[in-house]
Amino acid sequence: MARESRIPETRLSHTAALILQALDAGFVYGFSIMEMTGLPSGTVYPAMRRLERDELIRSHWERQSIADAEQRPPRKYYKLNAAGKATLEASRRRYPLLERLIPREEVKTV
Amino acid sequence: MRPSLASATRLLHIGLLRSASLMVPVSQRAEWLREWRGELWHVRQACAPADCASWSGQREVTAFCLGAFQDALCLRRAARQPLAAMEGTPRQCILILAAILGASYAIALLLPGVRTERSLWPRKVNPNLVLIQSEGSNYDSQPSIHPAQFRSWETRRQRYFDGFAFYRVTNEPAALELNGNRLQAKLAWGVARASSNLFTLLGLPIRFTDAGTNANTTADGSLPEVILSEKIWKREFGADPHVTGGLMRLGTRMVRIAGIAPDGSLDLPGRVDAWLLEPEPELGSNSVGYVVAHLTAAGKEEMWTTWVHITANEPDGAEDNLLGVSLEGWLPPPETLYLFALFLALLALPAITTVSLGEYSVNPQKTSWSRRLRRWSFLGAKTALLLPIIYFVSVDLAYACTFFGRECEAYIQLVFTFAMCLFGLRWVLKDQRQRCPVCLRRVTHPAQVGQASRTFLDWNGTEMMCMGGHTLLHVPSLPTSWFSTQRWLYLDTSWNFLFAGSTRPAP
Repeated sequence: MARESRIPETRLSHTAALILQALDAGFVYGFSIMEMTGLPSGTVYPAMRRLERDELIRSHWERQSIADAEQRPPRKYYKLNAAGKATLEASRRRYPLLERLIPREEVKTV
Repeated sequence: MRPSLASATRLLHIGLLRSASLMVPVSQRAEWLREWRGELWHVRQACAPADCASWSGQREVTAFCLGAFQDALCLRRAARQPLAAMEGTPRQCILILAAILGASYAIALLLPGVRTERSLWPRKVNPNLVLIQSEGSNYDSQPSIHPAQFRSWETRRQRYFDGFAFYRVTNEPAALELNGNRLQAKLAWGVARASSNLFTLLGLPIRFTDAGTNANTTADGSLPEVILSEKIWKREFGADPHVTGGLMRLGTRMVRIAGIAPDGSLDLPGRVDAWLLEPEPELGSNSVGYVVAHLTAAGKEEMWTTWVHITANEPDGAEDNLLGVSLEGWLPPPETLYLFALFLALLALPAITTVSLGEYSVNPQKTSWSRRLRRWSFLGAKTALLLPIIYFVSVDLAYACTFFGRECEAYIQLVFTFAMCLFGLRWVLKDQRQRCPVCLRRVTHPAQVGQASRTFLDWNGTEMMCMGGHTLLHVPSLPTSWFSTQRWLYLDTSWNFLFAGSTRPAP
């Protein structure tokens, strides 16, 4: 039997859909998603861990050289994968206002 | 905001993240902390930059850090999911029992009382030994034989005894003096002044004995020998194995340490710290003491029980009524006590629970031989682990404290073993009855079904469910002629939707 996360139409919560939409809109790290969605850190980060566990998003660390050049610590970026995109499409049908809440922005190259 | 306060809040935020990281599983902790510290830097830049830090900004940063606790808690819960999936499985049961067995065995190895008890069995004292005392004297405290009586018995030919040894216990100051270096310790020891053949008669092993142990005098001159008790050897000499051959002062005399008597090996009355072996004429004539005698074959035949009345004919023609008490004692070793208590518990078990394993045969076409074998193997494994656990735990409890004495310890072991066997075996049977016949998981989620007032119209009792989705267990509250024992209801595939998250092999 398929995992429950792979039944996007029925299982994804509004919060998770919001985070997927924010990621798709180009907000690729936790704090930017918090700012965009207005959700607190205690909601955003656990939700992203669950989405990553369910293989809807994947994460990677920024290169140290980039962080060093900007004199700041490196950050962890998140990105939608194919299953996540399909789930997001299904969620948009379920939550029609999703795209209006978080419009797309130009995705930064990281 | 002042710089000192800003640095204090920075420390507070780092402290919050580090505290939260303690909840994160160790394997993920470093990366988790790295991510949160990286994000904290950005949050601080956005909300409370160094040049215009404000209270509201610091509050936002603090709120961000507090969210780390929720994140850490989620990760902790996720890490525990495999353990939760194991709950109620036969593997969990076996692992827990094995862990308890290991712990109880380790405790048995560590407790000094248990080690002493184990070292005593099998007993190494010579068989057929009796302690002779005046009839009516207290076995434990009253010495009652005069040295003159002992000498007269020893010198006369005896029918029932072929060896005698005498000792009397006195309190004497002891000054330890080893290799000529006088130590300042001056103690009052319980010294047993014993005839030199006492240990030979008892057949007791002496630890760290030197070559001249059996002689009364040594190359050092005519120094008498002293055998230290293990307790005093550990306390005063730090368990030094090279103590034998050393000199010490007991009372007014110099003596040579000839060996160590193992703790608990002597079931002789009197509190003795050291055994001073003396030639017989020096035993004194006024003080009374104890006599140990060895039985001949004829004497053994007369010894029906653990004690016997003895009539001694004195040289003046008078008769002396004495009591002979066997030194072998009546107390069996711990293993025998354990087996006896187990036997009693097996006899008593049907009185507190039914010995039936439930109606496993209600659906015989669905219980294959392999499943039956697995079920019986599980039952056997549980019992095989439980029985040694009971043995070691009962021994741990009984011999943890040597204060009570051997007899009391034996009673404690007997009672604990019986109670643990009784209720342990009851648990084994009850647990087995509540295991799903298909997957052997314990059934859970008990639900009360029916009403007691409708017992004669319908059944009422408890319904429990296998979380693997295989079976339901119905246990009647009040056994009736049409529903006397528990029943298993095997679930077909139409129930699958209820157990979507679980693996459910076909029954």
